[in-house]
Amino acid sequence: MITVGIIANPISGKDIRRLVAHGSVFDNQEKVRIVRRLLVGLAWAGVKRVIFMPDYYAIVQRAHKGIDTPIDIESAPMCAENTQDDSTKAARLMAEAGVSCIFVLGGDGTSRAVAKGKAKIPILPISTGTNNVFPFMIEATIAGLAGGIIASGQISLEDGCFRSPSIEILDEEDSVFDIALVDAAVHTDTFIGSKAIWSLDQVSQIFLTRCRPDSIGLSAIGGQLHTINPEDQQGLHLLLGEGEKRVTAPIAPGLMQTVAVAGEARLQPGDTIFINESPCIIALDGEREVEVRRGKHVSIRFSSDGPLVVDVPKVMTLAQQAKLLVQ
Amino acid sequence: MTKSKEKMIQMYMTMYRIRQFESKLQEFFADGKIPGFVHLYLGEEAVASGTCAALRKDDYITSTHRGHGHVIAKGGDLKMMMAEIFGKSTGYCKGKGGSMHIADASLGILGANGIVGGGGPIAAGAGMAIQYRGEDGVVVCFFGDGASNQGTTQEALNLASAWELPVVFVNENNGYGISCPTSKSMAITDIADRAAGYDMPGVIVDGNDVIAVNEAVSAAVERARKGGGPSLIECKTYRWRGHFEGDACTYREKSELDEWVKKDPLPRFSKKLLDDGILSKKELEKLHAKIDTELQEAIAFAEESPLPEPADIFEDVYA
Repeated sequence: MITVGIIANPISGKDIRRLVAHGSVFDNQEKVRIVRRLLVGLAWAGVKRVIFMPDYYAIVQRAHKGIDTPIDIESAPMCAENTQDDSTKAARLMAEAGVSCIFVLGGDGTSRAVAKGKAKIPILPISTGTNNVFPFMIEATIAGLAGGIIASGQISLEDGCFRSPSIEILDEEDSVFDIALVDAAVHTDTFIGSKAIWSLDQVSQIFLTRCRPDSIGLSAIGGQLHTINPEDQQGLHLLLGEGEKRVTAPIAPGLMQTVAVAGEARLQPGDTIFINESPCIIALDGEREVEVRRGKHVSIRFSSDGPLVVDVPKVMTLAQQAKLLVQ
Repeated sequence: MTKSKEKMIQMYMTMYRIRQFESKLQEFFADGKIPGFVHLYLGEEAVASGTCAALRKDDYITSTHRGHGHVIAKGGDLKMMMAEIFGKSTGYCKGKGGSMHIADASLGILGANGIVGGGGPIAAGAGMAIQYRGEDGVVVCFFGDGASNQGTTQEALNLASAWELPVVFVNENNGYGISCPTSKSMAITDIADRAAGYDMPGVIVDGNDVIAVNEAVSAAVERARKGGGPSLIECKTYRWRGHFEGDACTYREKSELDEWVKKDPLPRFSKKLLDDGILSKKELEKLHAKIDTELQEAIAFAEESPLPEPADIFEDVYA
């Protein structure tokens, strides 16, 4: 039976960036409607069963209740603790249960939490967060079709997916204890607090796995200097501070900031940078996540071994060529 | 995002002051020492402390039936509070109001409120007064998840947005309205989702993280002060005690409480202050001792104060 996973984050799209920037309030009712559309696409692709992450809003159950679908749903065997660890745990359990693709509803942070589960199966991230560089701004029906086509093997992983790079955070023993999918930043504050970053005053370094001139978030800074796509398997390291260049970029929805760039370097897979600052906070995909205590240090490594991601336009193009939806 | 050392210590002290005050009341109620009802704020200290640390003395708050924490965080006098709760004539309402009517206009405390959802219209009114006078003050309206379902709260949200009033609606979503879980009283789970319906920003923060609360409220206060209008901040938290003292809490599992006690905002913040070298263990103990002494003095003041005279029964009656 073709089975996929759905991880819908009920808390995404509701952080402080609605106050300090102009982020949209992404209500959970909209996430329910997205999952309904996703189920329609999945059903057409032949998916019969969905394992979902339980959450306090019951996004997937509500979606399933409001639609006539041949797909059965089943909760991953876990209790929701309403933290980002839920997404990581759910991804791991789904992989163990043998799902063929995991759909993620959230922003960069949710995708990161899912990728931390280290599942070998492809993910298809749908944007319902704030800074959305990693997830796709895509109609969910199409996402359901594309992910379902991959899950059912009608198009191979090799043809329809790409390997995303990542940034690994290493402790003093060189063990990876956290990751970022798009950006990591060194922040001189010592509190995680409301997590988001909305000012660059205290950011000293930025590491990027990708950047484009039309990006949002911290990767937008690199995007005004270079274009690096995930398939390039290259990263960018920016040192902020007085230098020749000053870059203006949208670091959050509706929030432009200008920052001086003191230096930059391309990163190749395996390149590791020791972070000399301590204490500090490491922000991952735009959110303050890792506290580095006084006297402790971390390193940051560019890795080519990030999550496998469904390439929706490519899958749909191959589906068109193979006439999968043409009778 | 950076907070001064003084501000962090102040926020911790406020949380500790509330914790100790409420713990004493729990004890006194069980011993039959205080009349009337008390609704304790234990477990929710980070919301009031983080919020009021973002306010000036001349800013306003409206409070709820669970108001001791709000009043303490806004600078309320512990002696007068304790005396009021003891029903003594030296209390804030001369002993005639009790726990749910404590107010102090000189500190911008527009009153605790026995009516669920009663604070919203008062907050909108105070916001309108600020706007009318051309001042730059801000009103914080504390309200619970139960109050969020009341028409008064929805009317206040609507009016505050329509008239761009400087009101920050701080929702304390502790999961229960009296004995009713939000899952039984609300079609949705996130009160912040309702903000969009009133064209104002709505955010969710961890209500047990005093820094997260303070950052969000500071941003909302700054926005309101500059004429940006109201916002809604939902703080996810939990009340450790029942709706009122004496509530047997048969409607919830103990395991649920145990999970939330693990997220206790006080040790979480004190550990951070110690780890970061903002306070030494000795300094922390000294601060605790200082507050414990303040509280002992407040208790002694309340115990030694006289009850109101029967002849005063018709004084201060307005209607």
